[in-house]
Amino acid sequence: MLMAPAEGSAHAGSSDQEVSDHQLIEACQNGETRAFETLVTRHRGKVYAMIKNMIKNEADAWDLSQEVFLKVWKALPKFEARAQFSTWLYRVTHNVVYDWLRKKKLDTSGELEDSLLKPSEIAAGATTTPSSIARPDEALMNNELGVKIRQALKTLNAEHRETILLREVQGFDYKEIAQIMNCSLGTVMSRLYYARKKLQTLLSDEKGKD
Amino acid sequence: MKKEKTEELYVKWVDGLLTPEEESELALLMKEDPSLEPDLHQSRMVSQTIQDSILDSVEPPYGDFFNSQLMRKVELEIASKAPSKKAARWWQSLRWAWAPAGGLALVLAFFAGHRMARPSTSELVDSVSRAQLDLVSVYVTSDQLAASVIADGDGAVSAIVIEGLEDLEDNLELAINTEQKEEGLEGLPVSYLRSRAYQFQ
Repeated sequence: MLMAPAEGSAHAGSSDQEVSDHQLIEACQNGETRAFETLVTRHRGKVYAMIKNMIKNEADAWDLSQEVFLKVWKALPKFEARAQFSTWLYRVTHNVVYDWLRKKKLDTSGELEDSLLKPSEIAAGATTTPSSIARPDEALMNNELGVKIRQALKTLNAEHRETILLREVQGFDYKEIAQIMNCSLGTVMSRLYYARKKLQTLLSDEKGKD
Repeated sequence: MKKEKTEELYVKWVDGLLTPEEESELALLMKEDPSLEPDLHQSRMVSQTIQDSILDSVEPPYGDFFNSQLMRKVELEIASKAPSKKAARWWQSLRWAWAPAGGLALVLAFFAGHRMARPSTSELVDSVSRAQLDLVSVYVTSDQLAASVIADGDGAVSAIVIEGLEDLEDNLELAINTEQKEEGLEGLPVSYLRSRAYQFQ
């Protein structure tokens, strides 16, 4: 029996970290739901951050993170021990986000989606998605440079944005990114190159305006 | 140099992952285009800024609720799987009974077939001997006659059916002889004795 975690961050470094992901997965495969909760607590922060940076909507990111972990639970019996859990988890996340984006594109075709517009172009109180008060972990991101970077990231297409996030933020290597995004190594290189180029241009333009 | 290769070199340089061979390849490109190096340095700065500005992990709001909500869904998922699992187990257990049940059904069908069918005399005799039933064999001389044995070994009952005989007359005397005391005639039907007496006249 594996113990449930102490409430904590995704970087929990205490008792639950003594048990490896693979040990937890093995316990989950034997039907231990408490082991799964430990696994969720350990990884939910990264999954939520990734989704939030991809879709820019806190409420949907919360729901999609739930969907990711539910899919993980359902697919865990098929998970092979030799695979890297984090790569597999991000692959599930990738699929959930892209399914959602596809569905959203179909649902909102022809409708005005205010989250796709620049905040300055939207009338006060006219947003359709709930606004949130900045939490302490967001305070760091609310500095000027952080805002500019996130605005620039927003302008990238989903593939370029995801490649940048996986490489720069999550620190995956090129091969892992290719596995997560189900594409070739060459495609990863190309996306990274063009995404960086575009970000560079956008940020230098912003600098020019200032 | 191919476009893909140059892109790869730029990306790897920004990440500091160039091999010595690739470094010399890039050095050649930088020599050809002096604006390349400052451009790559700027790209590296942007990359570093992203790494510093965006957190790799952000706790979802209401973490406790996140877990409890998720675990409730997991429990529901487990519960939804349970009936089908139970059914699978039931069928699985039945599968082991299929072999003997099938064998029993074959045996029953075999014996039922024996009862229902009206086999020819020779077949019947053969089958009777196969079943090791202690019955007399039937031998019929006339082609017009057909004999069959219906045997039930378990019930110790058997019947011999002869077909092709002439119809019996309605006035046939089936009474048993009790008057004639001659040896061998006792117990025979009266009508038989009359026809016998007629033959010897």
